[in-house]
Amino acid sequence: MAMAALPISEAASVALSPALERAASRLASIVGPRAILSRPSELVTYSADGLPFYRKRPALAVFPETREQLIAVVRALAEERVPFVPRGAGTGLSGGALAENDAVVIGLNRLRRIISIDPENRRAVVEPGAVNAGLTRAASEYGLHYAPDPSSQTACTIGGNVAENAGGPHCLKYGVTLNHVIALTVILPDGELVSLGSTEGERDGYDLLGAFVGSEGCFGVAVDVTVRLVKNPESVRTLLADYTAIVDAARAVSAIIASGVVPAAMEMMDGPTIRAVEASIYAAGYPVDADAVLLVELDGLAAGLEEDVALVERLCREAGARSVRVARDEAERARLWQGRKKAFGAMGRISPDLVVQDAVVPRTRLPDVLAEIHRIAQETGVLVCNVFHAGDGNLHPNIAYDARNPEATARVHHAMRAIMNACIAAGGTITGEHGVGLDKLDYMPLVFTDDTLDAMCRLRDVFDPERRANPGKVVPVRSCREWRMAPNTRRGELPA
Amino acid sequence: MTAAVGPTCALPDTPLAAAVPGIMTCVHCGFCLQACPTYLALGDENDSPRGRILLMRSLVEGTLGIDDPDVHTHIDQCLGCRGCETACPSGVPYGHLLEATRATIALARPLPLVARLILRTFERPHLLAAMLAGARLLRATRLPRLLGRLPGRLGFAMAMLAATEGRVPHRPYTRRGTGARGATAVLRGCVMRGLYAETNRATERTLRANDYEVVDVAGQQCCGALHAHAGDLEGARRLARVNIAAFERSALSFIAVNAAGCGAMMKEYGHLLASDPLWAERAAAVSAKVRDATELLADAGPARGASLPLAITYDAPCHLLHAQRLVRPPLAVLGAIPDLEIVPLTDTDQCCGAAGIYNLLEPEVSGLVLTPKLANISATGAELVATGNPGCQMQIGAGMLRTRTGRGTVHPIDLLDASYSRAERSPT
Ligand SMILES: Cc1cc2nc3c(=O)[nH]c(=O)nc-3n(C[C@H](O)[C@H](O)[C@H](O)COP(=O)(O)OP(=O)(O)OC[C@H]3O[C@@H](n4cnc5c(N)ncnc54)[C@H](O)[C@@H]3O)c2cc1C
Ligand code: SF4
Ligand code: SF4
Repeated sequence: MAMAALPISEAASVALSPALERAASRLASIVGPRAILSRPSELVTYSADGLPFYRKRPALAVFPETREQLIAVVRALAEERVPFVPRGAGTGLSGGALAENDAVVIGLNRLRRIISIDPENRRAVVEPGAVNAGLTRAASEYGLHYAPDPSSQTACTIGGNVAENAGGPHCLKYGVTLNHVIALTVILPDGELVSLGSTEGERDGYDLLGAFVGSEGCFGVAVDVTVRLVKNPESVRTLLADYTAIVDAARAVSAIIASGVVPAAMEMMDGPTIRAVEASIYAAGYPVDADAVLLVELDGLAAGLEEDVALVERLCREAGARSVRVARDEAERARLWQGRKKAFGAMGRISPDLVVQDAVVPRTRLPDVLAEIHRIAQETGVLVCNVFHAGDGNLHPNIAYDARNPEATARVHHAMRAIMNACIAAGGTITGEHGVGLDKLDYMPLVFTDDTLDAMCRLRDVFDPERRANPGKVVPVRSCREWRMAPNTRRGELPA
Repeated sequence: MTAAVGPTCALPDTPLAAAVPGIMTCVHCGFCLQACPTYLALGDENDSPRGRILLMRSLVEGTLGIDDPDVHTHIDQCLGCRGCETACPSGVPYGHLLEATRATIALARPLPLVARLILRTFERPHLLAAMLAGARLLRATRLPRLLGRLPGRLGFAMAMLAATEGRVPHRPYTRRGTGARGATAVLRGCVMRGLYAETNRATERTLRANDYEVVDVAGQQCCGALHAHAGDLEGARRLARVNIAAFERSALSFIAVNAAGCGAMMKEYGHLLASDPLWAERAAAVSAKVRDATELLADAGPARGASLPLAITYDAPCHLLHAQRLVRPPLAVLGAIPDLEIVPLTDTDQCCGAAGIYNLLEPEVSGLVLTPKLANISATGAELVATGNPGCQMQIGAGMLRTRTGRGTVHPIDLLDASYSRAERSPT
């Protein structure tokens, strides 16, 4: 084929503002020219996170490799008054790590060391870019692990987990990120280095650590994180219950919780999800003709565990399970979990594009809400795959579609909004663990009053009065930036 | 803004256009990031699978041009190790996407000179044989051992050559099985025949000892893997046709390959020639007979040999683990050797940086990828590293030589062969 037939790139640079120009050369002198990206063609990669539905190209991306470099980078940006967005692994599912073309992405993935593990006090100190599963791997030598286990744990960073207050299957029993962070060093957007929380027990005064966890990159950058490690349980049993009707599985969830047993994890996957997983390299042996499976894990001291297993098995059957299988060994258990944890990725094989919702509903309303989601899917003609943390009512309806088809895309949008409204109507809220970011901005006024939103703005002002840290995310201040960034508000239509 | 690909592809009628469905399978979840050696070494998502797939997507969307130097850099810097494939829940066929991207880039930019020289040499059997004979002469002087410590590309190349010296004694033995497992041809290979001839003999002997009937097939050439990985798909197809025709001439049950990279390529002849109506079926038929030599040995047991009290470690070649998805067979081969201690190697699923001719084209990144591998090897305390691919044997061997770590590399089959030979000498 002739070369002339191939499209040739246009002039590959865009003009930066004078402040950004100055920032670029200062950053380059801090981190070295190879740790900063400024050409648009190299910034394309940083234009998306785990929710590639949104694409925003930053002005620059910079990758500090040491704590000192990170601090110097934030200070230089403060002096030039340039907005910035921290980025961990970019697995976030709300567009949180995206930056507009006037902002700088600070990539934290090179700051990935585990600084220390203190097995006696069951603690570890890590750099923000340390990968969640890597921490557990390092701690396993001491019979310990880091309990919050988002499904993305093989990729996501502890800094990203702190910023999103990430949860995971085992957070049902062990608690979310907030319950496992003891102390933080944070660089505030103005360049001040502060310590939040304390390694010496409770500190007097307000819980600023608690405010930072879940702040989605809007309050500054976590420079190091001290976390709690948990002793590996003496015994673990994992059950897989198989249902021909998803509502039966939902009833089993309520029954188990009502019985007083506290499972370590309780996860549900519906039929389309099961079939996607079984077609992937992470096939776990789930029954492909089921309408839903429930994955329940019980752990603790060996004594008494078998009784709980028997009880849960009975409750699952009473709710209508076709079969209940208990993993025979560690290999089978690992396989059952791999399938669950890779389920989102596995859906990529259904259609080219994927959106995922993240809503929490009261557990008792699960059967109704699931039925309503099913109805919405039928009505709008979209394929909804449900995979979720059933134990705490945290739903993750995923919709697989082809974004190249505008008509299908419109139906997907409609379905997403209808599902969210149904969850809110059932007394739920708009995010369990993926954060608000860019994606959920529109929904904030549906669950919070103006006064509450205003209070959030003021809290943010305490950390970042100039609003340069991850601007335009989380709280809609109706400034022009929000107007520009969220596609729906831009068109002037508030969510129905 | 929706990240949509318009109904028309910006690069119609290119290999990349055919790869669009594969590109669209990526959901951008990032699960592949930690599996990617270049991402870990360079810390830039442009050098990660997810980033590279987004670059490919931008090419077909037309937002980046096929002549974009940044695209070239990051696609060039990919090892093609396919570690991302075995991490990907969505089933993105990354290896195929990479080949298609490189083939499409090759339409706009000729391959680098070094790559062209190497590829053309591998297409000329006589020239290649002469060059490898020269290399053997040089190796016999033992000069490469010394020169291998010199800094720079030349030093590394010398160390690679020195690394091909045999590390275990090969003494022929007469042990033979029944031949009942079927007629089996052993791929001679280029580097294998030129620099690891003893391993080829060992492969024949161990296969015979395990009931395979070994037959010689004339007319073989380079398998074409280097060409396919570099984006010279036409060159790869030319070579594939030669080999298909050669292997078709004998009635074979199996084609045994002891170089993981070549085996992976030959198993994909069917895919490579899928749109060639004259060859598609024949290619698929040949591919169906291809096995890694350790697969055949493992299927047969393999028969146990005599004690070899050594501490070794095993490193999985990417084209065995990720491309062919074979975990157990090489371990079964090593497991048939009494008293051989296999010290587990951390991160054995990470590439060593050899990646065909990558270490010659991208020496800097290759070195960065090799560094943690050597550190992990050193931590095992083992003297020998077993790995079933000549490129990996040379790369790791060169690194060990230059850092004075252990004794070097062997093929797992070398060890099985040595164990069989001992059994005949000192029957236990
Ligand atoms: C397949 C899949 C499954 C997932 N499963 C779960 C799950 O089970 N539970 C769950 O909670 N989430 C889940 N997620 C979402 C995501 O993995 C989490 O939100 C995770 O915490 C993000 O980490 P990250 O390192 O990728 O952060 P990024 O996506 O890079 O960033 C997320 C946010 O954190 C901010 N940030 C990052 N690092 C810092 C820092 N050092 N200081 C301050 N702010 C920072 C960013 O600005 C951004 O706003 C999943 C995602 C995927 C793709
Ligand atoms: S794991 Fe697969 S689907 Fe996920 S980002 Fe990597 S290539 Fe894409
Ligand atoms: S083939 Fe290897 S180097 Fe290339 S993107 Fe995949 S994991 Fe990374």
